[in-house]
Amino acid sequence: MSKTDSTFSWTIYDANTLSQREIYGIVLKDLGALHPEIVGLSADLAKSTKIGTFGDAYPDRFFNFGIAEQNMFGVSAGLARAGLIPFVSTFSAFASMRACEFLRTDVCYQNLNVKVIATHGGISFGSAGSTHHALEDFAIVRALPNLTVIVPADAIETAQAVKRSMDIDGPVYIRIGRGFEPAVYESEDYEFEIGKAIEMRSGSDLCIIATGNTVWHAVQAADILKEESDISARVLNMHTLKPLDEESILKALVDTRRLITVEDHSIINGLGSAVADVIAGSGKACAFTKLGIPDTFTPHGHPEDLMHNFKIDTDGIVEKVRELLNREFEETEDWEDEV
Amino acid sequence: MTFSDEQLAGKIVLHAVLPVIKVLLEDDPAFKKSFEGLSGIVQFRAQDTDAPVGAYLVFDKGDFCVEQGIFEGKADLLFDFPSLKSMNDMFRGKPVLPRLGPLFKAIPSRFGLLLKTFKVLLAMKILMPNAQPKTPEKAYLKVKMSLYMVSTALSRMNKAGDPDMKAWTSKQPERIYQWSVEGSDIACYLKVKAGNTKAGRGVYTRRQPFVHMRFSSVDNALPVLSNSVDTVTAIAQGLLVNDGSPEYGGRVGDFMLRIAKLLS
Repeated sequence: MSKTDSTFSWTIYDANTLSQREIYGIVLKDLGALHPEIVGLSADLAKSTKIGTFGDAYPDRFFNFGIAEQNMFGVSAGLARAGLIPFVSTFSAFASMRACEFLRTDVCYQNLNVKVIATHGGISFGSAGSTHHALEDFAIVRALPNLTVIVPADAIETAQAVKRSMDIDGPVYIRIGRGFEPAVYESEDYEFEIGKAIEMRSGSDLCIIATGNTVWHAVQAADILKEESDISARVLNMHTLKPLDEESILKALVDTRRLITVEDHSIINGLGSAVADVIAGSGKACAFTKLGIPDTFTPHGHPEDLMHNFKIDTDGIVEKVRELLNREFEETEDWEDEV
Repeated sequence: MTFSDEQLAGKIVLHAVLPVIKVLLEDDPAFKKSFEGLSGIVQFRAQDTDAPVGAYLVFDKGDFCVEQGIFEGKADLLFDFPSLKSMNDMFRGKPVLPRLGPLFKAIPSRFGLLLKTFKVLLAMKILMPNAQPKTPEKAYLKVKMSLYMVSTALSRMNKAGDPDMKAWTSKQPERIYQWSVEGSDIACYLKVKAGNTKAGRGVYTRRQPFVHMRFSSVDNALPVLSNSVDTVTAIAQGLLVNDGSPEYGGRVGDFMLRIAKLLS
């Protein structure tokens, strides 16, 4: 994408000061200049999802469907069939649930080139409560054939994901937060490849596998564990949930034998379950913990407070890592020296 | 329970030094042939403050093992030391003459066992830091025996309750400290977990080592194991590669030096 890189108008300063969705809006606007086939679709959330930035620049390529997500996804399929590349933006809860059948049957079934930008993922829209929290979207969209699922860690990675999604001739679901997520990356000068996890910290005592906005917390936790207790924690940024980087997971399993997953999502059928599938398939024993939202509807609150409550923030990860390190997973351990 | 340095050295001799005789019997063709078909029990016994301590070698027609304690029956040979220090001194290469028994029944087979055991003990001098192997085969044996001995000695220090070692191991999650020599089958490891330790042979395959000390060759391992080059210099000179935490690798190096001091 070197051709496009020089065209983008956002800067590192923007990435550190703007939210994921603000960066998304700017990147999409810049992509629009390069690709006249890109069109933007919104369901009355242009301002909230920041696709309005694209709409302001290209009003004749932008369509607001009102509060009619199913209709929007159905139209996106038709536009894609006509050779356009629709970027469809709405909240994660609506993209994955209200419009689920249209995403499944109209878009994924036909393997159409539709890019879904699902904002306000997880509990990032804390004050809006359970109706707007998206704790099920990983579980749903992971199960849709042909769909690539990306969960960027911060604004810079969102920019990377949006750009790289253009390399895929098929549907892509990019799940981002509401905004205010701390910056994980200082620049785009790192290898971002869809389907390939990024090792943020090396380590051999255990491996923390995180996705989305929990990556920053995982990195912080690893640094605290190193500083306080000399614990060597590997951190993987699993920015692509599908296709899943099984190779990195298996390597972490073999290398550390202790894995912990962290996600802003239900613990059911999200990142943790995907990793558990890989572990089970390997036939190797390990100590394993899934951190996420338990099987419950979530209360209202600030996202930071909710993350703390559900132990998917830095403090929670540190606490759960210490528990994991003390957990026995082998039935008997022989401490007799071999001679 | 606390131990004096002499008592700790005694435990290392009995648990870590004597067992590497196995390497000689398996990897040195002359010794392997010499002990083929030979059976017998050779007891090492030393008087400690309260009671005798010891270990006995079991030769069984080419098989070999070391058992800890005093043999319940009558050993074929007894190396009896008046003190732990005298036993340790013998393995430090100092001139010590233990009381031998039971020689009054020096039947030919027992005499043969005595001679062969003496030869083995003399060959063990290869472990001395200043012993310079004259052939590649001897160099291989020295490196293999030294690494096996050190890994077991580290574990034994912990099991004996050495305060420094215990403090170091008790704070660690499950970790593997691996040693290996490139271009050879020499490999051993120390497994540590919450105060427990285990010395093992070969490459640990169940997880990545926390620290992996890789010698680039047998020849390059020799100066480090002979204490003529410290580990920092060895790394700088490319004799040794330390994969993993340099601080923990350095700490292992400190304990290895302590063992060398106890046995010299």
